[in-house]
Formats: sequence, structure tokens, C-alpha cells
Amino acid sequence: MSAAKRPKLEVAMEPVLPEDLTEDVPLIEAYTGIILDAKSISRMVVDLNSTIPISELAHLKRVRAKEILLFPTTFTTPDKVIEVLKRKGFNVEWISDQINVVQVAEVPPKTKKQYDVVNKLWPCNFHSNKYLEKLCTNSLFNVSELEDHKRFMRMCIDVSKHGIKAGAIVVDPKTRSVVAVGFDKTSENPNKHAVMVAIDNVARTQDGGAWEPIEDGDGASLAGIPGNILDDLNANYPGNSFGASCYKGKDEIESPDDGPYLCTNYYVYVTHEPCIMCAMALIHSRAKRVFYGTSVPEGALGTACKIHTVKDLNHHYEAFRGLLKEECERLNGS
Amino acid sequence: MIMDASVLSDDEKKFMDEAFKYAQEALEAQEVPVGCIFIYENEIIALGRNEVNRTRNATRHAEIICIDQVNEYAKKNGLDLKSVLAETSVYVTVEPCIMCAAALYNVNIKSIIFGCQNDRFGGQTVFDVAKVLGPKTTVKGGFRAEEAMGLLKEFYKGTNPSAPSTKVKTKGKKM
Repeated sequence: MSAAKRPKLEVAMEPVLPEDLTEDVPLIEAYTGIILDAKSISRMVVDLNSTIPISELAHLKRVRAKEILLFPTTFTTPDKVIEVLKRKGFNVEWISDQINVVQVAEVPPKTKKQYDVVNKLWPCNFHSNKYLEKLCTNSLFNVSELEDHKRFMRMCIDVSKHGIKAGAIVVDPKTRSVVAVGFDKTSENPNKHAVMVAIDNVARTQDGGAWEPIEDGDGASLAGIPGNILDDLNANYPGNSFGASCYKGKDEIESPDDGPYLCTNYYVYVTHEPCIMCAMALIHSRAKRVFYGTSVPEGALGTACKIHTVKDLNHHYEAFRGLLKEECERLNGS
Repeated sequence: MIMDASVLSDDEKKFMDEAFKYAQEALEAQEVPVGCIFIYENEIIALGRNEVNRTRNATRHAEIICIDQVNEYAKKNGLDLKSVLAETSVYVTVEPCIMCAAALYNVNIKSIIFGCQNDRFGGQTVFDVAKVLGPKTTVKGGFRAEEAMGLLKEFYKGTNPSAPSTKVKTKGKKM
């Protein structure tokens, strides 16, 4: 690999977003009337809002220049519009006989990009969510945070080499400490994907775990990282912190932020896109963010599906793809 | 598609009854009451129930635990795990969640028979895993569904585990 190519691998991490943030806002058609006397606009809007309120389109402005939004075209046919207005008690003398059809946003836009599109069609209210904007424009992390993410993914790659293919690590972002690691042991047990192993290793730091015998001792904080891997990581990443913060029993936990509890508030780094089983395991475990390197055909965080965006689930995490992508891709061949 | 469990054979009903024992056991152990057994060549080769709370691992669902057991079974008996799983039927009191459905399809399990739908996490009801993975596995559901749902409701209500079990009407309600 030439030195000139190197910076290219360093960028390319992007959020994997739910469709309602990335797709255009769906549109519907609505009737508009032409306002005859501009002076009557404010009275007209009040009158229209009381006679024909359209709560489902409350995100739209009622007036654009000399045009006023009446109601969706699903209400009636164009020739009956005036009749409907009259029947509802609206003073039709304020508008001309001419009825137009316009395209409007069916639902409120969530992002600035979506807003800019639909606002051109018909003026629209929009409340920008700063966090969402950063997420959607892929500007959530500063340079030093990106360096952290890359370092954790490098550890993941190192951990992966203990197994067949994939490697995973779980990090407590509050302390920037590695809580647990996992590598693929599917040759031993079909359930033992790297992520599943890492989740079980997190459980070990909480006096639990199912796959490895639980040893007595005061090392619970480091129980998520096998000794030989811990030695390697310590040697290769001096200054990085390892181990979970002190585990509290259920009775000692006072607030939901008190923990640790499962993978709550933890970040998970994994060299390969998790499959459906692993993606859902991370939902059950209440992970906060998942970062992966390379996409795979059966991947469930963007490729084959997006488990983390299924609306009906009770927990959602954010997913990011492409972190040290090319380095992770190279693991496939080994 | 979910098929009606009235098409179950007597053997299949017997195996479902067995799975219910472990769901009941889970409830008594204050775990999510899901019980499961795996049948290979007409014999129980794995049985289990949720152990999430004991292990502090949210992935320790009955089905995952049973796959672990089949793995041990195959090793012990010198059998090829893949061939065993491809001839194994799963009886589980609740529709497998998205994770477990994927795990079962990944190992090419022969068939799944479940009790009630899983409105929170179902691998069919909440997100159709089969549509993505296109497994050969046949799936039937609905046997003793109200009872299975009743156990779940009792758990999520946090009622006294020693209270007598009730006949719960569940139609149209989320657990």
C-alpha cells in the first residue's frame, strides 16, 4: 500500500440512518384558493382554521403569497371544493373561483435537507434538532473522538486475530475503558459469533456470563477480557484503560443511569457488520452505539436490513459503518 | 405465515406440553417465562428456559441455550452438528424473538412450533426474519397461545410468582 493512499482509509465512517431521516418526505396533493383581497388574509386564516381545521397538516403554513391552503384533495373532487367550503361555513367570497392543486409535505420534515425540499413546494414549519443534524450530516464527532473510535477499531482488528474472522470490543465511553472483547469461535459453537462472545464477556464483569466458567476472585472488572488478550492490548495500547466500572447489584441501583446494566450506555466496535442474531442481541443488551468496519451481505445494520431502525422495538442504538473499512476487509482473506 | 396449530399431531402436542413445563419453571425462577425443547429422531436432545437474569446476559434465551446443548450433544455422540440441526424440531412456548429466529434459521433448523405470538420482539410479528434469510425451516404457531401469553403477562405484571395461574384473556392486548 502506498503512503499516499493512507489518509483515505482514515475517514469514511458514516451513520446508518433510519429511512425517515434519509428519504424525501412523502408528498400529498392539496387544494389552494386565490386570495382576492390581501387585507383579509389574517381573518381568513382564523376563519379557515376554525371551519376546516386540518390537524394532520399542522406542519404546513396556511398561506403562500396570495394563495391559501384549503384541504387535501382526498376530501373531494375539484368541482366540489367551493361547495364543501360553503357547507363548512367558510366565507368563499374571500377567494376567486379558481382552485389549484399543490404538492405539500405529508408529514413534518425531520432534517434541514428534507425541509429545504418540501418548503419549496409549500411553506412548512420546521424545528431543527441540532443533534439530528450533526448525525445526519456525519459531523457528530470531532477529530479527537474520531481518533478514539479508530483506536478502538484497531483493537478490534487485533482481537479478531485470535479467532476465525470477526472481532468485537465493548467500550464504556464515560471512562474510555475497554470492558470486554469477543472473537469468532463459531468453529466451537454456532452461536459464538464475536458479538455474542463479547456480550457474554460483558456479563462476566457483572457477576454473570454463561459460556466460560466463572472464576472466584476480585478481578470481576477485568473478567471480560481473557488474560492473554489483555496483556497484548496493554502492551500495544499503553495509556488506554481496561476493565468495567464497579458492578452494582439490582438493589443498589438507584437510577437507570446507574450501572452497569447489560450493555447500557456502552459502545460496541466490531470488524464486520453484525448479522441479524447479533444485531438483535445488541438491542436486547441495550447497547448505545455500534461501530463496524466492513459491510457483509448478511449484515443487519444497513446491508440486508436495518434491525436498529425497527420502530416497534423498545430500544434503539445508533449504527456507524466504514470505520477502518479497508483494514477490516482485509481480515476476510485470512 | 403463521399456521394454525390445530394441525398438530399428538406427538407434537405432547412436545409442546413438555416445553410449557420449562416456561412455568422460568416464571418460578423470575425469568421471562419461555420454555423450549429440541427434538431429534423423536427424542429430546435439548431443553431449556430463559436464563437472562441469572447470567446477566440478555441473549440467554431458551432457544440459544438449547442450541448450545445440541452442540454438546453432537460432540458427545460423535455426530455432525449441522446434520443433527437440519433434522431437529423446536417446540417453544413463545414465538422466537428476532435474535433467536435468526439463530435457528442460521443453523438450518428443520421446524419451529410455537405457542403465542411475541408482540415485543417476534421474529415474524415484529420483524420478518424469514423474509431476509429465506430459510427452509417450517414454522407453525398458535398452540396453547392464550396460556403462553398468560404466563408472559403474569411475569410482566410483576405479580406474586406463587399466586395461582389465571385464565387470562389476551385478545387485542399487548403483553
